[in-house]
Amino acid sequence: MKIRIEFSKLKGVRYISHLELMDTIRRAVRRANLPAKYTQGYNPHLVLSLGQPLAVGMIGKGEFFDFNLKEKVEEKKIVQRLNDSLPQYIKIKEARYVPDDVKSLQAIVDTAIYSIDFAYDKNKVDDEKILKSLQSKNEIEIIRKRRNKEDRKLDLAPMIYDIELDNKLPIWHFTVSTGSSGNVRPSELIKALNERYDLIKKVPLVNVIREGMYVKQKNKLLKPFASQVVRS
Amino acid sequence: MNVKEKIDDLLYKINNPERYIGNEWNEIKKNWSEEKIKTVLAFPDVYEIGMSHLGMKILYHLLNEKDDILCERTFSPWTDMEKLLKENNLPLYALESGRAINEFDILGFTLQYEMSYTNILNILDLSDLAVRSKNRSEEDPLVIAGGATVFNPEPLAPFIDLFFVGEAEEVIVELIEKYKKLKKEGFYKKEILKKLNQISGVYIPSLYEAEISGDKYKLNPLDQNAKKNIDKQVVENLDEAYYPTDFIVPYMDIVHDRAVLEISRGCTRGCRFCAAGMTYRPTRERSKERLLSLADQILDSTGYSEISFTSLSTVDHTQIADLTETFMDKYKKDNISLSLSSLRVDDFSVELAEKVQKVRKTGLTFAPEAGSQRLRNVINKGVSEEDLYEAVKSAFNSGWHRIKLYFMIGLPTETKEDLEGIVKMAKKVLKIGKEIRKNTDKRMKKIEVQVSVSTFIPKPFTPFQWVSMPSKEKIIAKQDYLRKHLRAKGLKFSWNDPDLSLLEGVIARGGRNIGDVIETAWQNGAKFDSWNDHFDPDIWYDAIKENEFELANLIGKINLDSDLPWSHINTGVKKEFLKKEYKKSFSEEITEDCREESCTQCNVCHDLGVKLDLIGNDFNEN
Repeated sequence: MKIRIEFSKLKGVRYISHLELMDTIRRAVRRANLPAKYTQGYNPHLVLSLGQPLAVGMIGKGEFFDFNLKEKVEEKKIVQRLNDSLPQYIKIKEARYVPDDVKSLQAIVDTAIYSIDFAYDKNKVDDEKILKSLQSKNEIEIIRKRRNKEDRKLDLAPMIYDIELDNKLPIWHFTVSTGSSGNVRPSELIKALNERYDLIKKVPLVNVIREGMYVKQKNKLLKPFASQVVRS
Repeated sequence: MNVKEKIDDLLYKINNPERYIGNEWNEIKKNWSEEKIKTVLAFPDVYEIGMSHLGMKILYHLLNEKDDILCERTFSPWTDMEKLLKENNLPLYALESGRAINEFDILGFTLQYEMSYTNILNILDLSDLAVRSKNRSEEDPLVIAGGATVFNPEPLAPFIDLFFVGEAEEVIVELIEKYKKLKKEGFYKKEILKKLNQISGVYIPSLYEAEISGDKYKLNPLDQNAKKNIDKQVVENLDEAYYPTDFIVPYMDIVHDRAVLEISRGCTRGCRFCAAGMTYRPTRERSKERLLSLADQILDSTGYSEISFTSLSTVDHTQIADLTETFMDKYKKDNISLSLSSLRVDDFSVELAEKVQKVRKTGLTFAPEAGSQRLRNVINKGVSEEDLYEAVKSAFNSGWHRIKLYFMIGLPTETKEDLEGIVKMAKKVLKIGKEIRKNTDKRMKKIEVQVSVSTFIPKPFTPFQWVSMPSKEKIIAKQDYLRKHLRAKGLKFSWNDPDLSLLEGVIARGGRNIGDVIETAWQNGAKFDSWNDHFDPDIWYDAIKENEFELANLIGKINLDSDLPWSHINTGVKKEFLKKEYKKSFSEEITEDCREESCTQCNVCHDLGVKLDLIGNDFNEN
């Protein structure tokens, strides 16, 4: 049976890579003595699938992974045993059984919320004005850099669903499209603003938090283990 | 000051930031409280190398077992991290608390390899500490060192306050507790060192003055407390000795990314070039019961799915067959794999390897070391050509397709025939493999024979400590010969940088004055010398010249009656034995292993009050 798990990757481990995170989870499952299902064959290993990788340096507060169990263990127990077996900066938030034939995280997660701390002085920058200006644009074109491929022009506007400003802090919350059907990178959001507004400086990825990953259904954001998602 | 917190937001600028964050599973974070003594273990290379080092792990966990001791870790920062620290005016820090190294009471270096000594100086400097002991103040940490190359401490004598010679498990806690008591009583560092000197195995270089001229090397005591000899410390009963089980599990893919179980210590085969074989005597084993119980706890605590049995000669453990079999049976269901380090050149080893590597047969390594029976007799490597061919035959027949062969060049008495022998053996192994592959109905990958040839380096406390190294030109000529002749499909040849080997030789047998060379080289930018992209031999050769040495003298022959810079260290193996072995080597006479034949009179058991400690009764039957 398949279990889908929500977790946070916090500041103390923000510099470990996606592969290192996967190894860490695999070892934690071993340490937790969970009856995990391993592949058959010469080199048995735990089949672990995660959502879209989180860039090195970023904190993730609503990340997900799936794996299979041979026998049922109570969801609360899974959470507790994994938390007891993980480094303190990786926190399991919730575990829910999902149907075995459920679509993979990479296939269904299509929306992410990023918080970006632009580190400007809130008293000196009229960010409301900047936001209005940005929202009035029909097109937010950027140049996407691609590994081993030519750079490409890309319009971010249709992929940004929502932007909210924090009341007190220079933090912007972006709800954007993510995954194979259109992916907005936080670095591109930073670049797009920086290129258009002098007062918005470039900030590194350590200023970004991925707040959560969702499945968008009729303008509602659902967690990838929500019943409406796994049943459809 | 919490340096780690200050630098953390900037680590995205450098490569492999996870080297500098700690926070791993099983890391031990203790409160930084007044009553604790604060120690930090420093490894003079990058994180992923240091975290693969067993000695450091043992000490880390052993010291942290004590409530009143706190023990943290630090590693050489890579050059990008060094730059980042300097740009931000921050010192080197320890991973656990993030505090600057100079806030600790004791800074302990792990000595593993001569060519990492510049990194020791660099760590001191990055910690805002003077590199020379005499220039450090009362408030600075006590700088201590120990490990595999401590048996000739002299090249590091100007930089280290206290050396610990030998195996530290049984004495290190006493040493640190005594330091704490003396410090509390208000003694000055100088007085503390004199008192710590009473502990056996402790060597305080500042209690002596070196008198060096020509082949004279005398250490004159400056204090009545100075010991005449410093006795190597040995764990008497390894089976009962401390061994950690809650190993730290790094995030990074480190060099040896698996659980490590030390099944025995020491080796008495008596290869005449081997420093470890001479200095870690006598052989002591852990019992099967203890090893299985340790394995259980380690796997449970770490979540590793691979464990490695290590020792200087793993297959020589008297219970190895039984141990391996029991282990495999027990863990089959948990998908745990086992690896064995350092195999012997024989059938038995291949059979064992076959048992543990039923599936992914990656590669097997054998070390005949020399290309002719004559030269193997000279170095006392008890392996015949037939042994090798039999072993590789079994290996190929069992499905291995890649064989790695280790040889040395530049050994004493080496001639052209010995080099030809290397070529002949490598090609024969390849031929055996190809024939077996041709005649088998099983699917087998293309045969690959990797010939790895290192340059012999005379090391202190070996019978070859007196012999010379060949010149750079000669080393290159030998490597050229092998490169030219080891050409065939499926044959791969690798060699060591000749300059690196020569300089390792210089430091290995150096006296205190070689400390000046190390310091000059470091001042001129030498660090990470064992990393190809960093090593600049010219810096070193200039440093040798600047300090008025001649390379040829430093790597030359030493007379049997000359003073040796390390003669105040007593490893238990007496000089007469080494001399006898030296002479026997030139008449190509073999000395048997004392486990199988009679005592070879190396004297270690008598001198240090220890004994061969073999667990199995049937060790003669293997």
